[in-house]
This record gives sequence, C-alpha cells and structure tokens, in this order.
Amino acid sequence: MKCTADIEARDLEEMNINIDPIQAGGRLTADAMKAIIAWGDGYSVCDNCRKPFRLDYIEKPAINVFHDDLAAFVGMDEARVVPGARRGFQAVAGTYVQKGDPVMLTGLSHYTEFLAVENTGGVPLEIPKDEKNIIRAGAAAEKLEEAVRTFGRPPVLLFIDHVDYQYGNLHEVKEIARVAHQYDVPVLLNGAYTVGILPVDGKALGVDFVVGSGHKSMAAPAPSGVLATTAERADEVFRTTTIKGDVTGRTFGLKEVEMMGCTLMGVTLMGMMASFPHVQERVNHWEEHLANGTLFVNALAAIEGTEIRSEMPRRHTLTRVDTTASFDRVAETHKKRGFFLSSALKKKGIVGVIPGATKVWKFNTYGLSRAQVEYLAAAYLEIAEENELSVSS
Amino acid sequence: MTQRAVDAIFQAMFLLTDLRVLMRETAPLHDLDEEQRAKASKALEKLKKQINTLEQELSR
Repeated sequence: MKCTADIEARDLEEMNINIDPIQAGGRLTADAMKAIIAWGDGYSVCDNCRKPFRLDYIEKPAINVFHDDLAAFVGMDEARVVPGARRGFQAVAGTYVQKGDPVMLTGLSHYTEFLAVENTGGVPLEIPKDEKNIIRAGAAAEKLEEAVRTFGRPPVLLFIDHVDYQYGNLHEVKEIARVAHQYDVPVLLNGAYTVGILPVDGKALGVDFVVGSGHKSMAAPAPSGVLATTAERADEVFRTTTIKGDVTGRTFGLKEVEMMGCTLMGVTLMGMMASFPHVQERVNHWEEHLANGTLFVNALAAIEGTEIRSEMPRRHTLTRVDTTASFDRVAETHKKRGFFLSSALKKKGIVGVIPGATKVWKFNTYGLSRAQVEYLAAAYLEIAEENELSVSS
Repeated sequence: MTQRAVDAIFQAMFLLTDLRVLMRETAPLHDLDEEQRAKASKALEKLKKQINTLEQELSR
C-alpha cells in the first residue's frame, strides 16, 4: 500500500511483532499519532509564540509546563527538549570541553558521545568494561587517576550510559558519579534506553545532566529528546547569547547558545507532549515489561547452544544473544543460509532482527503485550524444533 | 457549518487512529479478545456518525 505516488505506507508495526532493539520504546502512542495528524505543519506550535520568543515560554499549547514536567520526571531542576539525545550530548560537550581537554567515556559508550567530544576537539578516554560487560566505579576511579597523571588535570566531563546499547546492561552510575565528583568532574547520564521506560531520578543517581531520547524511549517522533540538569549547572549549559552584530548592533535576547534558539518546533514536540502522560504512567509498569522480556530470554536460552551475552538475570529488555552454536549451525547447511531465520520469522509476522544475522544479535521486547511475547517465544522454539535443534523444557 | 465538517474530519481520523493502534496491539494475528472487539465496534459506530456528518456538510 502506498501513501503517496512514491512513498509506501509503513505498516510494519500493524502487521508484525517488531523486536528491533532500538525501536521498541519509541513506538508512538495513539495520542502521539493524533497530535501528528493535527500538528504536522512546520511551525504549528508557533501560533502563540510571544515575546521573548522562545519555545519553552509558549503557553498555548502548554509547552512551558511540559518543560517543567520533563525536569521533574527525571528528577532534575531544568529541562529543554532537544533534537535527539545526541544533541543533548553536543550541548553539554559544547559547554565544557575545549580543544585538547580530556573527556571520560566508557568502553560501551554510544558513538554519538564520541562525536560530541570530537566536535569540540576533546580527547576521549574510555573506562574499560569488566569481563561481565559492566562499567564499574573501580575502573572509573583508576581511569580518572590515569587521566590526572597523563594530563596533569582531571577530565572536564564524564559520560556514563545508564543502560548501554550493546548489551542492555545497567552500570554503576551512582558510584561512578560519586567518584567523578571527588575530582569535580561533571557527569552526564545517557538515559537513551531508560528515560521514558523505567523510573529515572537524576539527583538520586547524583549526576549533573540527564539526557533522554524521545524516539528511542519516550514514544515520540524523531528526532526528539530531553536534556535536563541541576539548578547549579543550568546557567552554564543553558546560557543565553551575548553576541552582537558589528554593523547592525543586533543582539538576540534570551536565545540559548547551545539550543541554537528554538529546538523542537512542530510535530516532534507535539508528539512528545501527547505521549508524555502515557510515558509518565508506563514507567510504573517497568517490572511487567521486564518480566515479559525475561520470558522470551528464557525461551531462547532453552534452545540448545544459545548463549545470552547480556548480564543475567536481565535488568533491561534490550538483550544481546549469541546463537553461533544454535541457529548459525543450522545456517551452515540450510539452503537459505543465514537468511533462513529471518525468513522463517517473517512468515510468522516477526521482524526487527537483521536479515542474515544468526551469530550475535540483539532484540528488545519492550512494549509488547504478554500475549505477543508468548507468541514470540513460541515462534522461536518452533523454528528451532523445525530445524532439529533440541529445546529443553 | 464549516467547523462542524472540519471537526468531523479530525474526529474520524482520531477514531481510525484508535483502530490502527488496536491493530498494532494485536499483531500479527489480530485475534481480538472480547474487550478489544467491543472497543473496535464502538469506534466504528462513532466513525459512521462522523461520516454521516461529513455527508451532510459536504454534499449540499
């Protein structure tokens, strides 16, 4: 089915169970879809923009209230909407990192954190993961000491992923923040996989910045996200312009430098706002989603040769699995080679795993109903048995 | 008069959106349970009313 002459209608979610690891928390709510219908025009939120002409001051729709609610939602004092988590990283890096400054990341940091550092000319230093793929406070302390020895000063900023994108593992955020603060290093929490799907309290974690992704975890259209901070740091990262034109003498009032003026105009913001009440509510049901994820993980683990590479028991629904000794063994002799699995899944209405991937792959069951997860688990077990892999009870 | 037609268009699209989400919630088999069938039936009933309104407003 086409929605225009040249553009297909995307009915992937209507026709299938989608376990793509990065898409699960970003699927829209009905209210977000309705907001898109009504607010799709480019400057739609700007009808009632009045002096001082800034997005977060708009009262109708209540964008100003939404900003306050967003900050409270992540346990911080001030928040801004941003075009994706990566632009939150960029704003914070742009505030604190100068060329040649050491910046702490981790061995599991998302590439966009590296790009934010590169953009400023900072020097990335990675805290190594341990053998269980967890970032520990002890390793952070050692790396901070090493940075001081090498650079003669501590890093200017530390990025820590709440849950990383590779394993979906939870890291020692609170302890790492405590260590970093002993060196006066501000800490940015990358909550792209947590803000909007499970409760996140930035102050309780002791971090200076919380960044979330609208399209990854807040049931919002892309690109959208949130950057929240403490009152102490707000004046720095949300500093307003001081520049002046040399010919015209123009100044630009209350525009925020790192936000490049206004950020999420129109449909991305309205989609995010429309989903927000649902997002606020759904984080209270995280344990149910986790239990659903565990059901599927256990089903996979029951297939002969399959190894779960993420931490166990699972504390997040994004999971990395190694099927080299199970489904990939089937692929060696199957006429469809590695594509047999994605092909068999597609026939059962399951998508989201990279076609041809039978060795190491990731999935995310967040947002699926219990019935859908049971169907998913049964489908994998069925495919395993059809291909003569034994399944333990 | 015109506002009534525009409201009916929005309402119809919103009702269709609810049905779309129902399709997502029940993918891939779309075996609706009793509660979901009742929800769908109610939405379709309301949708028909909006279509009637549109017929009245746009056909004269």
